[in-house]
Amino acid sequence: MRQRAGWRRSLKATRVGRAYLVITVGIGLGALNTGNNLLYLVLGFLLAIIVLSGVLSERVIADVRVKRLLPEGAFAQERFALRYEVSRVKGRAFAVKISESGGALDGWAWIPTVIAGTPVIARADVTAPRRGPLKLGQVQISTFFPFGLFEKSRNVFLDEVLLVWPRRGFYCEPPEADSGRLTGESGSQRHRDGGGDIQGLRELGEFEDARRVHWKKSASAGKLLRVEREREDRKQFTLRIASDSPGEHLERACEETAALANRLLAEGNDVGLEAGGRKIRPASGPGHEKRILSALAGLGYGLPPAPEPTR
Amino acid sequence: MNLAARKSLRLRLRDLSAGAAFSAVALSGALPLPFTGLFAIAFVLSLWGKRPFLNLRLWSALALLAAAVALFGLVSRGDLDLVVAAVGFATLVTAHRMLSEPTPATDQQVLLAALLLMSGAAALSGEVWYALCLLAFGVSACLSLGLAVVEGPLERDEDLPVAPVLRQVSIGVGIALAGGIAFFILFPRLSWNVAARRTGAGLIGGTTGMSDTVRLGGGGDIKTSARVVLRATLEPSPRSDRLDRYWVGRHFDLFDGKEWRGSGKWGRPTARVSFGPADGALVQHIELLPAYESHTLVGLAQPISFGPATALSNTGSSPAMLLQVGTEEVRLAQDANAFTYVVHSRTDFPLLEEDDAKLQALQELPQEIDPRVAELAATIVDQATAPEEVAAKLERWLQRNLAYTLELPGEVDDPLADFLFERKEGHCEHFATALAVLLRSRGIPARVVGGFFGGERVGERFVVRAGDAHAWVEAYSPVRGWMTFDATPESGRGSRPPPLAARLVDAYERLEELWRSRVIDYSIVTQWDFVRQLVRPPERAASDDDGHERSAAASGGATATQAIFAAAVGGGLVALFWRRLRKRGPKAHPASGFLIEIERRLEALEVVRQSGEDLEALTRRLEDEQHQLAEPLGRATRRYLEARFGARPLSKEERKVLLAGLDPSR
Repeated sequence: MRQRAGWRRSLKATRVGRAYLVITVGIGLGALNTGNNLLYLVLGFLLAIIVLSGVLSERVIADVRVKRLLPEGAFAQERFALRYEVSRVKGRAFAVKISESGGALDGWAWIPTVIAGTPVIARADVTAPRRGPLKLGQVQISTFFPFGLFEKSRNVFLDEVLLVWPRRGFYCEPPEADSGRLTGESGSQRHRDGGGDIQGLRELGEFEDARRVHWKKSASAGKLLRVEREREDRKQFTLRIASDSPGEHLERACEETAALANRLLAEGNDVGLEAGGRKIRPASGPGHEKRILSALAGLGYGLPPAPEPTR
Repeated sequence: MNLAARKSLRLRLRDLSAGAAFSAVALSGALPLPFTGLFAIAFVLSLWGKRPFLNLRLWSALALLAAAVALFGLVSRGDLDLVVAAVGFATLVTAHRMLSEPTPATDQQVLLAALLLMSGAAALSGEVWYALCLLAFGVSACLSLGLAVVEGPLERDEDLPVAPVLRQVSIGVGIALAGGIAFFILFPRLSWNVAARRTGAGLIGGTTGMSDTVRLGGGGDIKTSARVVLRATLEPSPRSDRLDRYWVGRHFDLFDGKEWRGSGKWGRPTARVSFGPADGALVQHIELLPAYESHTLVGLAQPISFGPATALSNTGSSPAMLLQVGTEEVRLAQDANAFTYVVHSRTDFPLLEEDDAKLQALQELPQEIDPRVAELAATIVDQATAPEEVAAKLERWLQRNLAYTLELPGEVDDPLADFLFERKEGHCEHFATALAVLLRSRGIPARVVGGFFGGERVGERFVVRAGDAHAWVEAYSPVRGWMTFDATPESGRGSRPPPLAARLVDAYERLEELWRSRVIDYSIVTQWDFVRQLVRPPERAASDDDGHERSAAASGGATATQAIFAAAVGGGLVALFWRRLRKRGPKAHPASGFLIEIERRLEALEVVRQSGEDLEALTRRLEDEQHQLAEPLGRATRRYLEARFGARPLSKEERKVLLAGLDPSR
């Protein structure tokens, strides 16, 4: 990450600022036309306010430092919190607005005041327009201070990449589980021994696997009780995206896959992914979902999938 | 400060700024009373936190539209001035917005509408109050805007420090005001002030002391009034600060024992009135202020011609017609808030043919006049017969034997006899009456003149106050014509030393005069003079033909302006210099220059340093290589380190000796 401060400033009149300018021009014309000295006095004051706005707003934005605090990832076209750490070396800054320049992310963070030596974390609710690695370049530091007539901005170069996960769109039908409609833990590659956490005991049903009987408790209860474990009904799915050539089709496939992975994982299944010539083994958990989402985010952009956790 | 407190403060500041803007309009006196009432109600409701238009958006907007249509109708019918109508509508918009939902956007609308009010007031008013209103408006509006800006687009109920915001905005407003004044002074005026309107006399009303009759009796309260009733620019301008001359208003020739009146017949309205040739006359550009609530024109004794005149009213300025009333006075033929006109005056009286009938009338006395008056005149005059000698004797006697006072409680049947024989004290009207009656009793035509005595310089002009109102006598001699005599002791001629209240009025009048001369009447000529004073060295005090020193007051204002300007420029330069100084980084250590010179010489000697090799390492390497520079470099390096880190400063000579060992030319 590099932070370079440009010297260029941009100035934009706000709505009230535009009205102010129109009135100022009107008063100026009136003063020139009539020679009324009081109008000249008012005009002088109005013009001085404009100059002062420029000076004070420069004082505010010139010394503001910004650090982007990126989230691990964000869903496309969904609001997410992007945080900025805003600090200042000397003096105070008022009415600071931080946003991403160039329209990469819409939304902005507002900081009423920044005191030197006390960094402020500001949150911007922003939306990323599309899936994929999003290159974030310039951060725009703006202020309306002191009178809200103009918005003065400067850009700071903060080159970073935000991984935008695909939007979790609609899905049609879940695919078949890898091993058909299996019961118990027979479909689980890692928990074939039935070693999941014990959830409770219940009477063994007809045709149920006798290997799950808790013999000690059954003896004391006088009936066959079986152990119920988490992931008892786990299924294993491998989601596949055949083509990774960019286009609308790929986007829809990614969105559907992301939605499907989310649903299947929420139901307690293991989910894997095969896409773009890479494979993520079926597993579960929120970390695993992020791996799948990150892999989907990079699909079509040539990004390697996130490494799987070591065991 | 929490959100509710911040919002309350912001709204109060907003309302205050709107109130200040409206005050500027209201003080002009041009706005019809219903607008004032409506705004006052809106102001109170808004301060009280009541927003009746919160849920009546459509209806209130329709009412506003209807008001706009009505105002347009009044303007198109000629019943209302366009500027007044526009200001009235801006008043309604401001009030409407104040009573609507208080959002930051509404605040901005209120302030913009208030800004329009301030602009309108600039066209309607020229009073010094405008400056105060502009100041109050500017400060409170800027503070309100500053608070709204820091609040941000979304109001969040969190504590925010307000004091730093207000402090910084206040400093900014101060700078903006200074900048505005600088712009005002320096921006070239391309046109004359043709849009200035004049307000009325205000709540105090007129206090001129000029009336159509002079009635004896009562006190002389007018003498304590410090209100300025007229301002005059004189060409050529006397150098003195005080004029101490008579400003003739009107003559009174009929006396009934208690009251003086005029007998002249009113002529037809005319643009100019002339009594004789105005060659070599003193030209006076006179401005009768709203406090001068009379139609009589005045001019320095003796006025030869009057006109042209201009009437200044709320709706602008227009030429004013004059009425000549015999030779007694010249009157303005119309009503207005103020007037400007030109008078030409000469020191001698105009050569007027006085017929016998008129002179006879000027000797008449009422039947009921006390016989002791004639006896007194005879006693004083003794054997003298020449009118000028008689008048001089009577004048001197009255000045020496009767006292001047303004304390004259109660009415008396014969005020002249009471003055001459009982109380033996009175004010200028008593003295003038006594002298005129005594002269008439001796068969000398005499009349009382009402006007002013005095005039003091304020800036480039002379001002005359209501307290300068005075009465004196003109006596006629067949040989020398009309002559002026003043029986009032000198101490009672001008305005009396004012008490505290009068001092305050005096201070206000002076402020207003300063405001008028420095701001309202500021022109390209003033600018040119100002620039010329800046670029030219000040001239030594000059003397005019009469040997009078150049007026300190006249040059004082310019000097003060120059001082302020110079202080502002000087302050700006100091601030710039200080800022530059502060921007500089930490000062380099004196030994650093020595190090740089060593490195430069090593480079010149083509001693190549390896990457990351400091001078000590280089010295060791050169020693290993038995290089001839090893020894001088070692000494220089060691000395550098001592000077830099060992608190042993390096003298110039030592430095020279050490560097000599590393001389590339050797």
